[in-house]
Amino acid sequence: MTQKNYGKAFLQWLSQPLVWFLRQRRGVQAVFLFAVMLFPLFIFIATVALPVARNPFEAKADHEISENAEALPDSTPAEILTGRRDLAQKMAELEIKQAFSLTRLELAKKDSIGLVIDLLDSTANLEVKGVPMRRCKILRYRHSGLARRLRRQGRLHQWLAAPFILQKELATLPKAPIRIKEAPKDTIEAAESKGEDLPIEQSDAEFTLQFDRNLTLSVEQAQPPELAGRMREFWYDLRRYFDEARDAVIALVQLQLPQHRLWIEIELSREDAKAIYRALPARAALALRL
Amino acid sequence: MNINTTADDKTPRPASALNDASPAEEKAAEPVTPSVASAPAPPAPASAPKALLLGMSLGLLAALLMLWFAPVLREWMFAVLPESKFALQLRTTDIKKLQKEAAFLEKRVAALQKKHTQITPRLPYLIVDTSQNRIQIMKGDATLHEGVCSTGSYVLLRAAAQQRQWMFVTPRGMYQILGKRVNPVWAKPDWAFIEEGLPVPPLGSPERFEAGVLGEYALELGDGYLIHGTLYKRMLGMPVTHGCVRLGDEDLRLVYKNLQIGSKVFIY
Repeated sequence: MTQKNYGKAFLQWLSQPLVWFLRQRRGVQAVFLFAVMLFPLFIFIATVALPVARNPFEAKADHEISENAEALPDSTPAEILTGRRDLAQKMAELEIKQAFSLTRLELAKKDSIGLVIDLLDSTANLEVKGVPMRRCKILRYRHSGLARRLRRQGRLHQWLAAPFILQKELATLPKAPIRIKEAPKDTIEAAESKGEDLPIEQSDAEFTLQFDRNLTLSVEQAQPPELAGRMREFWYDLRRYFDEARDAVIALVQLQLPQHRLWIEIELSREDAKAIYRALPARAALALRL
Repeated sequence: MNINTTADDKTPRPASALNDASPAEEKAAEPVTPSVASAPAPPAPASAPKALLLGMSLGLLAALLMLWFAPVLREWMFAVLPESKFALQLRTTDIKKLQKEAAFLEKRVAALQKKHTQITPRLPYLIVDTSQNRIQIMKGDATLHEGVCSTGSYVLLRAAAQQRQWMFVTPRGMYQILGKRVNPVWAKPDWAFIEEGLPVPPLGSPERFEAGVLGEYALELGDGYLIHGTLYKRMLGMPVTHGCVRLGDEDLRLVYKNLQIGSKVFIY
């Protein structure tokens, strides 16, 4: 069979469902269309439309701002509006700064190691008792469009006003590279085991931290992964998406709406990423500024 | 052109002759197919239940795909949907009040930042990085010295016979120097004997004490953890210890000199 014939056969195979559909009676066509649309429509409404309409970030804001909204008449000149907008923007930035400083001080009261991320300064610090132990440079970052939306509304500081607490984590590297060693029975066995080389630990470090208040922080290493690391990265990505889909299904089964997570992706050097992941304890706290 | 034509059929027959064909002839003519025989036969119309089942199967697949991409779709919707009618500028209803608020906020933020910088210890302190096995002697925000160390190996030693196990990890967090010793003597714990395949002597036995293996100095962190020297200098920079922080001679000297009792040690 020539290449042209293969192409023709493939097109024929592709068009078969359409041909099949067009040859049906109107009633059967209607039933088929209804059946095709039923599940996707339900999933779209339950996991996309409703969570967007009732997202926890904006719900409160509109109610609060509406108290002041009517005081500004529509006929207000543009330059006054611009001046007010600038001032409002400055206020919003100061409020974010204040929220960040308060959160850092809150973190400093805790005994455990916390993470302080300042996207405006492109820094990620490991802190304990307010002392920065490791200062890492964020090489690149991206975040959800929802954050920009909240910023424009001047409501971001409310969300950042308290430390975020770590709930769940997923990574390409183990939290602790534990090796089990059985105690030798005698000195001969002990001498034999002494010669064993130290295992070389795989060094790629990418991880996702899920915090409360719907925040997801993904950390990627700047260096491309090694060959084995690419496979691990593939499974890690697959697992990340699968977990999100699974959480949505669980929420639907419990007759709840899946909640949209505000995500942040940062890129660090491999060493920084590894140090941060290994240092963070369970239920670690995060102070964030963006 | 017929596929099954015979030599006899080559003579053209009048149309009427075709119409008048006997039933036997018709039957014989049945397998005769046109030249477009390769085209698929038109599918039979499906019943409504069959269409429903087929449609639902396809729909289920589409729904699973939508579930997978739901977070992306939500992001798109947030980008596409119009802003709330209560945009940022509408918060500024009273400009004078806002200007006052802004000035107050500026002062408050500066005060909070100052408060945060005051948390940093005034005395020199030590930072130990267990993932890269490095140390930093700090004073305020300035680095006085940087060096290599060895920290916990993450080995879990299991002694099945005694039903005991030890995890060799350097603990993380904030610690203080509780004591400083010169020419320390190592009081060997049980695991030191078990790891060597030796019988464990009773507590206080002279076999438990070994001099010269911890270097010139030792600084106590509590719970038996020490910052000390080592005989195995080639292992510095690797995670090989039983939980203590091992340093090279020069680094140990500097740590001993700079850190006082009560100085902070931050381990991560």
